Amino acid sequence: MKVELFGMARALGGVAHVELALDEPVALHDFLRALAEALPALVPDVIEPSLDAFVEPNLLLLDGRRAPQAGESFVEADRPCVLFLASGG
Amino acid sequence: MGYAGPRDLLEIDLSARTWRRSALSDDVFADALGGVGLAVRLIDERVRGPLDPLGPANPIVFAAGPFASTPVPAANKHALATISPLTGLLNEGLSSSHFSAVLRRCGLAALVVTGVAETWTTIAIDGDEVRFEDASALQGQSARETTKSLRDAYGDRSLRVCAIGVAGERGVRYAAVENDGRQAGRGGTGAVFGAKKLKAVALRGRGEVGIADPKRTAAMAATLKARALGPKTAKYRVLGTSANLRVLQRMGQLPTRNFTAAQFEGAENVTPERARESKDSYVELRAGCAGCPVQCEHLYVRRDRDRRSAAASEYESVWAFGPNCGIDDLDAVLDAIGRCDELGLDTISTGSAIAFAMECGEHGLVPSDAFGPALRFGNGAVLLPAIDAIATRRGLGDVLADGVRAAAQRIGGEAERFAMHCKGLELPGYEPRALPTYALGLATCTRGACHNRSATYDKDLRDPSDDRADGVRAQDAIEAEDRAVAWDSLVLCKFVRDCFEDFDVEAAALWSAVSGIELDGAGLRAAAQRTWERKRAINARLGWTPVDDTLPPRLFAEPIGDGPNRGKRVEPERLRSLRAEYETLRASAGTALSVG
Repeated sequence: MKVELFGMARALGGVAHVELALDEPVALHDFLRALAEALPALVPDVIEPSLDAFVEPNLLLLDGRRAPQAGESFVEADRPCVLFLASGG
Repeated sequence: MGYAGPRDLLEIDLSARTWRRSALSDDVFADALGGVGLAVRLIDERVRGPLDPLGPANPIVFAAGPFASTPVPAANKHALATISPLTGLLNEGLSSSHFSAVLRRCGLAALVVTGVAETWTTIAIDGDEVRFEDASALQGQSARETTKSLRDAYGDRSLRVCAIGVAGERGVRYAAVENDGRQAGRGGTGAVFGAKKLKAVALRGRGEVGIADPKRTAAMAATLKARALGPKTAKYRVLGTSANLRVLQRMGQLPTRNFTAAQFEGAENVTPERARESKDSYVELRAGCAGCPVQCEHLYVRRDRDRRSAAASEYESVWAFGPNCGIDDLDAVLDAIGRCDELGLDTISTGSAIAFAMECGEHGLVPSDAFGPALRFGNGAVLLPAIDAIATRRGLGDVLADGVRAAAQRIGGEAERFAMHCKGLELPGYEPRALPTYALGLATCTRGACHNRSATYDKDLRDPSDDRADGVRAQDAIEAEDRAVAWDSLVLCKFVRDCFEDFDVEAAALWSAVSGIELDGAGLRAAAQRTWERKRAINARLGWTPVDDTLPPRLFAEPIGDGPNRGKRVEPERLRSLRAEYETLRASAGTALSVG
């Protein structure tokens, strides 16, 4: 599964995208573990040390448009992206 | 126990060259907290009907953050409120750093300036003393130059100064006020300074700032500081807000060429992350506010140039001159940001005014050579001449200096369609057509189109389903507005917002420990709501009606034409429904006004 990385995930991972060896469809829990294994530098600033959640406000969006709902699985064709938004001040 | 912090109100009349100092009561702090809450209360007491924002009666209010000059991190901030010459409505901005701290060390909770000076004036506050000093020699100087001149004159490098640049002197209606390299940018407070012939306020204060419970305050401040150095703020420390550019481009929510597209083909060329990755070409410098562990500001300058010309790469500024003007030349964008800071201009409104002019130029509504180089999207060469013309009010620059709403009225024809503003304040760099709750927040914001008073896009991103009830979205918008008022009254930097586990409870406890006035989470929310009600009441007195809570026509009439959000627009009936839900919910708290 190809995953696009933005923001902290890209800065810490050092790559703009990563290929994860995953059986599809994949649940968020398995996705996080695979991502942490592929890019250990994402723990703990992007992925919680427990590997069961992103550190807010990092999040997974499908095609940059929506976060998967609780329990929802997804596939590469959903175009997963890891990103965050920053504003205010 | 009474309020432990500095409690004096200093009222200055520039016309009469008089000043009066008095103590605010505990009740005032219990009611309004500080910062924006206090500034809005003081405006509310003084603005009881329509007034000319550039006339003598318009007050400028500085209100210190109640945690400034204490161990609380990310809190050396103050509010700056007035009636905006751009919107004609209440404008409450924030600035930060040493000036905010020294305001309190002068024993002040707030400073109110009214009247008009006969000649250019610096207000010098030296502890308990106030002097009116001739500032004629400072005319034409930037805020940075003014600060240096005043420090040289006083022989005091620690003098803290806020000042306007040329744009404020010339009455540009989106002129900024700067202190310590930070700007209160939006809404044209700098033009109100200029109308009063107030060039600068200089502070020198070394008084103690009282804290009710120093031990408890220190413990809570240490916890917050530790969190602020952790992963919750890593994005600001490592990348800064400009990291949004790549993200919004990917999401198809990067307003481009004056909101005629939502993805910019040249985005990658202007993302400051690219400058950061090009260490051979650019130097990255870091900066931040006094007492803040985050140090969020990332400045860039080409290696072959003077480092003093490094420009801050905040997302909104890069967006305004980059994607919104269709310009993919990072050097041109950084130069434009630097020139705005030098002249004292708000970057969002300036970039928006130029994008508006580019679209007018492409449609033959204004001369395409008005600024020399062709006035068209993508031409980076036009930025600096256009900015200079705006700041000095020359030619078309004079028209643009009044903001896009007024400029569209003067230019006529199709120009109104190209004017991207809410209540006169130009839009920031997010795409409302793809973010319905954010769109509602922009429409209802008392300040106009401000992204920092109703930042609800998180909700839209996490739950984008169209079946989300309007009542839920309206409630989200209200909570975001009230939460922003609480932040801005305490005044804490929103960049540490993820560092609280339960903001209402923890922030109220922090207030209680610092101020000595007990407050709980519910009390904090109630105080925020009182301030929001005052904001709206002030606006109503100034002529605002609910029909003004709307969005630019383009967002209704022209769907997004590209990217993942192709086809989305703001449905007029949907916004009307959202506003009706919003008013119903506000009514339940006693703040209803009928929806027009």
